Amino acid sequence: MSFRKRNIGLSAGVDRAAVPNASTQPAPLESSPGIRPSPDDGRPTTSTGAPSLDNLLAGHAGLPMGKLLLIEENGTTDFAGALLRYYAAEGVVQEQKIHVVGVPEQWGRSLPGLIGTAESLDEKRSDKRKDEKMKIAWRYERLGEFGAGVAGSRDVPNPTPAGEQETTAKPAFCHAFDLTKRLTHPGITNMSFIPLVPSRESPFTSILKQLQTSISSSASNTMHRIVIPSLLNPTIYPPNACQPEYVLQFFHSLKALLSANTARVTAMITLPLSLFPRSSGLVRWIELLSDGVIELCPFPHSADATATSGAATSVEEPPQGMLKTHRLPVLHERGGGSDQNVGQDWAFILSRRRFEIKPFSLPPADGDTEAQDASASSGMPKKSDLEF
Amino acid sequence: MPSQPPLPPLLTSYLSDQRESSLTLVSSILGATSNWLVLRYLYAALGTSSSSNISIGTDELSNGAKRKVVLVSFLRGWEFWRAEAKRLGLDLARLADKQQFAFVDGLSELFNSSSSASSAPINTGSTVRTTLPLRSQPGAVPGRGPPSAVTPGRPGTESLRQREPGAVKKLHFTGHGIAALDAMEKDVISEINRQKSSMTDGDEMLLILDQPDFLLAATGASMGVGATEMAEWVTGLQQQVHATVLTMAADSPLIHNASTSGNQLSTPIETEHAAFAIGMAHRAWSVMQLRTLETGAARDVSGVLRISRGGGWTAEAEDNLGERELLYYIQRDGGVRVFGRGES
Repeated sequence: MSFRKRNIGLSAGVDRAAVPNASTQPAPLESSPGIRPSPDDGRPTTSTGAPSLDNLLAGHAGLPMGKLLLIEENGTTDFAGALLRYYAAEGVVQEQKIHVVGVPEQWGRSLPGLIGTAESLDEKRSDKRKDEKMKIAWRYERLGEFGAGVAGSRDVPNPTPAGEQETTAKPAFCHAFDLTKRLTHPGITNMSFIPLVPSRESPFTSILKQLQTSISSSASNTMHRIVIPSLLNPTIYPPNACQPEYVLQFFHSLKALLSANTARVTAMITLPLSLFPRSSGLVRWIELLSDGVIELCPFPHSADATATSGAATSVEEPPQGMLKTHRLPVLHERGGGSDQNVGQDWAFILSRRRFEIKPFSLPPADGDTEAQDASASSGMPKKSDLEF
Repeated sequence: MPSQPPLPPLLTSYLSDQRESSLTLVSSILGATSNWLVLRYLYAALGTSSSSNISIGTDELSNGAKRKVVLVSFLRGWEFWRAEAKRLGLDLARLADKQQFAFVDGLSELFNSSSSASSAPINTGSTVRTTLPLRSQPGAVPGRGPPSAVTPGRPGTESLRQREPGAVKKLHFTGHGIAALDAMEKDVISEINRQKSSMTDGDEMLLILDQPDFLLAATGASMGVGATEMAEWVTGLQQQVHATVLTMAADSPLIHNASTSGNQLSTPIETEHAAFAIGMAHRAWSVMQLRTLETGAARDVSGVLRISRGGGWTAEAEDNLGERELLYYIQRDGGVRVFGRGES
C-alpha cells in the first residue's frame, strides 16, 4: 500500500495535472468554424476556398494553420488573383479576420459571391444522387481524397442545403463561390485593408506593424488570413520595395509572425513571375521562405486547348493552363517528395463557379470511380492507348 | 511501410563521426530541404542509446564522452524542431534542461524585436514544463550561472537575456554590418559557453548553423554584410566548438547566376550567395548535397543525397569518408529510408 501512495505523490500526480493542461489547449481551435484537423496528422487546417487546391496540399485537405502559400503566375492573366479572392471570400464566410495588403477597398468589394447549393452544382448532380444512396460515406465526404488526387472535387459542400439534412448540422469547411456575383455577407466588415505608406525606409515595416498589432490584440480564438495580392507589382509597390533586404526581411518577419501565432493565422501571397522571374535569386529566396509554392502557367489563349490535352472532351472544359507545385506546406518542411500529388502535371480550369485542378492529360486514378464516371463518356480508352 | 530506425544505417558513420574542428556543409534546394538531415545530426549526437549503444539510460558515447549540441536556426522556430525531434523520440526540451542541447532562435525576432517579445518565451516555457513532470525546476539547473537574472523582455536591446529554464535565446540583427554580426556572434558564443560550463573532459560540442545564408540574403551590401563577413562570422563560431554543421541553400539561381557565362546580369544577392557557398564548400571537410531527382519526381524517392569531400578534407587521416551518392525517401511518419541507386 505504501508503495502505491508514494507513486501517486511523486510522479503520477504531476502527470495528471500536466496532461489536462496540454489537452485543453487545442480544443477551442477545432471548434472554431472553418477549421478542421488534417486527415494526415491532425494539425488544424483551413480551406483555401477552392476545394481542388485544398486537396492538392499534401494530404492535409486544406491549408495548415500557420503556413504561408505563395502563388506565382506567369503572363498577364490573373488566375492567381481569382484564387486569392476565393481564399479571402472563404475567410469572410467563415467569419475570420482578413488583412489585405496594398490594394484599395475596391478589391474587397469584388470578392466572388456565395452561391446556393442546388443550382450551383448542377454538373455534380449525378454525384449527389450517389451520395444520397451511400449514406455511410457522408461523414467522409469533405475529407481529402487520398488515392484519387484532386480530380473529383466532390467535396464542395452545400452551404444552405435544401434536401440533405445531414449537412445542415455541420458547419461547412469550404464553400462554393461565383465569380460573376459579388459577395454580400455580414462578415465582410471583418476585412481590413492595409495601405502602403510611402516612406524612405522599407515600405513593409508599417504593414508588419499593423499586422502584428491587430493579430496580437484580437481575441485568441479569432482566425486571421493575410492576403497579399500581386506582391512587388510596381503599380502597387514603390520601386525600393524589391530590394532584397526589404522584401526578404518582410518575409522572414511574416514567417516569424506566423510561427508565433501558429494556430490562428494563414497567409496567401501572389507574385507576378513575368516581372520577377523564378530564375532570379531574389524570387528563389522568396520561395525558400514560403511554406508552399505553386506556379500557374496559363496557356496562351490562342492555343488550341483541346488539342493540347487528351483529357478535354466535348463535355469538359479545356484546361486554361498548367499548374506546378514546387513546394507543399509541411511535406517539404520535413524533407518532401513522398506525396502522390508531387511531380504530377496539373492543369487548372477557372470557370465561373470554381477553380478546378486536375491531372494534365492523364486519366483519373483507378480508385476514383466517380471521376471515371464523369469522364467515362469519351476519351478514356483512347488515353490509355496514348500512354504507351 | 515499416517504421525506420531513427538513423539510417548507411548514414550512421557520416552523421556521428565529426572530426575535430571540422565543418560539414549541407546544401539543400527548394524541393529537397535539409531539415530531416539536421534532425538526424541531432539524433546522432543526442539520441539515447536505445538502438545502437549498449548502455541504456545514459547519454554517454562509447568512449564515455558526452555530446552537446547548439542549434542556431534562422528559418524554423523552436516549435518545429521540438515537434519533429519528438517524432524521432528526442525530447529537446528535456535535453535543453539537462544542458545537453541549446536552441538559438534566429527566426522570431531577428529583424523585428519590438512586439511579439512577450508571447514566445511564455509558450516555450510552458511546453517545457508540461513535458517535464518529473523534475522540479531548481534541481534541473545545476551547473548554470546566476539563475536569478530573469529580466522580462527588454525589447530593442540585442542583449536580451532570459535565464528562465527552457527559455530560448533569440537573436537580433540590430545596427549595421560587422557590428551587428559581432553582436549576434557574441550571443551565440554566450550560449555555447553556457553549455561548456557543464562540460567535462572529452565532451564534444557540435554547432549546427541552420541556413545562415538567409542572413546574407536579407541584409546584403547595403547593410554592410557580404560573403566575406559571413565567412568570418562562421569562423568565429567554429573556433568555439568541436565541429560545425552548416546548412545552406544551393538552388541553381543562387549559385549559377553569379557566373559570367550566362547572358544574364547577376544581382548582388546572387554573387554574394555564390561566393559564400563556394567559400564554405572549400573550407568544409565534407559536403552533403541534397537535391531532387533530375528525372522528375518519383513516388518512392524524395531526393538524392550526395556525400563528397570538401575542400578542407585532408588525406592524411584515412578516415571513413567514402564519397557516394544515395537516394532517400521520407515516409509519412517522418521515418527516412536511405538506399543506393537500384536498391530498394
